[in-house]
Amino acid sequence: MDDLTEMLKGTLEGCVLEIIAGEETYGYAITRQLNDLGFTDVVEGTVYTILLRLERNKLVQVTKRPSGVGPPRKFYALNDAGCEELAKFWTKWQYVSSRIDRLREGGR
Amino acid sequence: MGIQDVIEGKKQWRAHLARVKALPPDYRIVYKEMQKYLFRVGPVGLLDGPLLPGIVDFFEEGVAAGKGVLELIGSDVAAFCDGLVKDSPTYADAYQESLGGKSRTTGK
Amino acid sequence: MNFWETVTGGDLTRDWKAFEARAEALPDDCRVAWGQIKVHLLPHGDFTGRNLTPILDAALGLLEEAAAEGQSAHEVLGDDIPGFCVALVGGGGARTHRDRWREQLNRNVARKLSRLGG
Repeated sequence: MDDLTEMLKGTLEGCVLEIIAGEETYGYAITRQLNDLGFTDVVEGTVYTILLRLERNKLVQVTKRPSGVGPPRKFYALNDAGCEELAKFWTKWQYVSSRIDRLREGGR
Repeated sequence: MGIQDVIEGKKQWRAHLARVKALPPDYRIVYKEMQKYLFRVGPVGLLDGPLLPGIVDFFEEGVAAGKGVLELIGSDVAAFCDGLVKDSPTYADAYQESLGGKSRTTGK
Repeated sequence: MNFWETVTGGDLTRDWKAFEARAEALPDDCRVAWGQIKVHLLPHGDFTGRNLTPILDAALGLLEEAAAEGQSAHEVLGDDIPGFCVALVGGGGARTHRDRWREQLNRNVARKLSRLGG
């Protein structure tokens, strides 16, 4: 679907946390996963800025590993604070989506 | 800051510029325009922090993957830059805070 | 307000005096907030300050309503008065510097990349 940028703002970070929680991974792979999920407008740059923030806020453990081509790749894994943040994200998401559903049902 | 730090800083900056120069032309153009914008926005720690070298790391990965620069970061370069500095205070914020903070105490 | 009287024309001075008279009638906290709003909005004005008049008018109206409702200035403006003022100016159709820089960045990139391709 096109034109989701505005709506996805604020939730993409949670999505990235969830993907990293699954396994240690790197920017390009995260972007591909989001694209495959149907968020086709998400580019690597967007994911890069999110990873940068996660790193700055000390929610991830970063390891540099050599890659087959080009410079070494940064791999990201969740630390304890990151796990907490992810749990918070899902709680908030649950809250928001349940309220919006309620609004929609009530409006009919 | 001692003289040694100044020399070290200059060396690092020169090394950084050399890496920028080694990028393909489209990446170099975008990097330079981004840097101009970031200098205006003025996130605290821009010159001695990891932000600018991090962008070059990221761009080098994009080059290695054979991508064009806009393919990597999207066509809204300003949005990408804003993502990079999101949540980081700017010099302007600090100034505003000093004004707002002062008047807030008198307001109460 | 000497600055305004020397720089602006008669009609503006009149507007300004009317604002100050209205502000005088406000409770203390709202009057303090009014002072802060002026300080933060002034850099956004053009040379005559004419483009600010409606914005100042709206802000003052907001404070008057708050006072009439028995609300504090803090309740209607929140903690972030500078941010509130930027939003005010943005809502009034004025472009912030940052927006201009954004546009400039994207325009320069588009222009230089197209020159590269051509």
